[in-house]
Amino acid sequence: MAVDMELELVLRPPEVPQAPYPAKVITLANGKRMVVREARREEVPTLLKAVHPTLFIHKDYYDIVGARLYSELLGWYTHRTQNEFCLVGQVDGILVGMVNSRMYNAKTGMSLHTLAIDRGLRVGSHLFAAKMEHHIEYLGQDEVLIVAESPIGFRRWMIEYGLEPTDIPHELGGAPSYRLTRELYFATKSRLVVGDRPVPPELLEVAEREIIVADEDLIREKIAGVKGR
Amino acid sequence: MRDVAIIGVGMIPFGRRDEDTLVDMLAYASMHALDDAGLGDKGVDAVYVANMGGGILQHQTAVASALVDRLSLLPAAADTVENGPASGASAVKNGVLAVASGYYDTVLVAGGEKMREVTGWKATDFVATLTHPEVEYPYGVTLPGMAGIFTRLYMEKYGLTREMLVAVAIKNQAMGALNPYAHVEMLITQEGILDSPHSVVNNPAMADPLHLYDACPVSDGAAALILCPLEMAQELTKNVPILVAGFGQATDTHTLQEREDPTDLKAVTLAAQQAFKRANLKPSDIDVAELHDAFTILEIAESEHVGFFKKGEGGKAVLAGKTKLGGQIPINVSGGLKARGHPVGGTGVAQLVDLTWQLRHELPKERQVKNAKTGLSVNFGGFGNNVLCFILKRGGK
Amino acid sequence: MNEIKITAYKCKKCGHIHYPKHERCLKCKGREFEELKPEGNVKLLAYTQQFNLPWGFDERFLIIGIAQFENGIKALGQIKAESLEGIKTGMVLKPSWEPVRYVYGEPVYGLKFEPL
Repeated sequence: MAVDMELELVLRPPEVPQAPYPAKVITLANGKRMVVREARREEVPTLLKAVHPTLFIHKDYYDIVGARLYSELLGWYTHRTQNEFCLVGQVDGILVGMVNSRMYNAKTGMSLHTLAIDRGLRVGSHLFAAKMEHHIEYLGQDEVLIVAESPIGFRRWMIEYGLEPTDIPHELGGAPSYRLTRELYFATKSRLVVGDRPVPPELLEVAEREIIVADEDLIREKIAGVKGR
Repeated sequence: MRDVAIIGVGMIPFGRRDEDTLVDMLAYASMHALDDAGLGDKGVDAVYVANMGGGILQHQTAVASALVDRLSLLPAAADTVENGPASGASAVKNGVLAVASGYYDTVLVAGGEKMREVTGWKATDFVATLTHPEVEYPYGVTLPGMAGIFTRLYMEKYGLTREMLVAVAIKNQAMGALNPYAHVEMLITQEGILDSPHSVVNNPAMADPLHLYDACPVSDGAAALILCPLEMAQELTKNVPILVAGFGQATDTHTLQEREDPTDLKAVTLAAQQAFKRANLKPSDIDVAELHDAFTILEIAESEHVGFFKKGEGGKAVLAGKTKLGGQIPINVSGGLKARGHPVGGTGVAQLVDLTWQLRHELPKERQVKNAKTGLSVNFGGFGNNVLCFILKRGGK
Repeated sequence: MNEIKITAYKCKKCGHIHYPKHERCLKCKGREFEELKPEGNVKLLAYTQQFNLPWGFDERFLIIGIAQFENGIKALGQIKAESLEGIKTGMVLKPSWEPVRYVYGEPVYGLKFEPL
């Protein structure tokens, strides 16, 4: 469908300058290397394929996280969300997790969602930390407002980062946000934020070439190293 | 006293089992064991059920009575056995004594736990209820905490290193990846959990100097076995009977602070000595062992205290490959608690189920100890204040 | 000066010190004990920094130690420190009796040890 740019400009939110996230590579517990990079807008249709199955998983709040993430990605894709970004984690090109967030304004970030394969590899922890790294270190923001759907997941972040309670309603449903300040980030960085830069070119090339959305069997074989059962 | 044999075994995959209740899991494992023993359409004389947390986590007590009803095993005698993480071996012990005494002929022993229904913090609190209620529990001390205290002392005394602990984790997770019943299916590397600077996130400190990968997961699961007098085994089943050659049980002080030497797991040593005496065997006679590696340090410490290695040598033995499949004494070929998982009440039974499969030579090549004839298990209750050791022998020809 | 509200028990027959209470002496099975109150500072015998706390604690970690009072009583307590830096086996700590946890908002008192 042809886009009428005159009308588009009415509906697109104004954006503030947004620096890119420099990719990094993390060695996971199983020795595999996860490239963490910023997804490109045109990769959203692939990401939606990965999120789609979660819409029907009721346990652990997967369905609401998936549904909200799906709509946020679509919002980003169609230029209807202000300053959104998405970081993906890939092992040999296979998508193992994604996080998304946006800049509420130049100084404040609004953390949105984290979705990761849960196999004890702490992919979610690594990607959440990368998201905070981007807000504070590369986007130059002073604070990030955070909530979560899962109380268990959230309590873990609250304790790990020492998040401060606020009475600012988060845009995800209005619950009071918790805040990660620049000071808190740097106080916890050494034990929560890791990664090597630059990413070796051959690894980056594989990651950037294609986001492979893997099914459970492929994840077991390629990521867990577990053959057939 | 009659010789007692294990003639049937059953287990369900350990892990997160949201759809199953505690009694569901016990029932499934029990049916596998009953069928395996040729008793699928018959009764048994007595049932012992090992479970630590039903009353706390599921708000359900008298689990054995529930299971007997669920399995239509009425009017069998039934007891629930609670001995913390050693509930499983305690229940088996009770079953063995019941058969050995001549009082009962066929006995079902099942053990299970449903721990993932609650958050990790509540599961940690539940396990901590085994600590001393006045002088330990109020301080927030946890089982990992006690293991951390023990590990530091062991490092100071014997020069144990993190590499040794990591080697146990890597070995056991590699074996768990081959075990269809195992909770954890993930190969890990020393680089990922120790050497890389990224290991600070991959493998954070849990109870220093122990880290995340030094601990077993929190699991749901159940296992079961059938006991009968050895002389009756052949009329009931074609399975190779596995003789309970001996067992031992010993206790130590409730609190860590009152141990004379907190690095000395006296109860493990005594329980093993009793078992060896009963079985008329010595440590070098054992072909395969299932030790209680709720924490990697415990596999190493128990391997020394039962007599496989001298004190302080267990860690070096792991590094030298002596405890892997094909080594001098394969330990935790099932993946151990580390990878198979640790549904606390079920573990002691699961260890004996795994040893039975080993001694029957029923496992696939990549998990079978060649020609295994004798097996040993250690089920470690509390923090080493109530320990059972079993020795099994392959029966028949 | 806050009193450390623990009572240890010294066997009248063989002198073995018990904390917590036992009905009979661990060593000689004697049944008569002299009550003992902790005296002086403590020597740290063993410790760990514990993360993944049980439900009921909101802290990121607790440092737990087993220590021995000058008159021989051994007890477990929480060590007041921000990290393990400077904590080592054998060091001397000052004991105190303070809230070690809160249950439904009410403080539960227990032993804390502070580096001197």
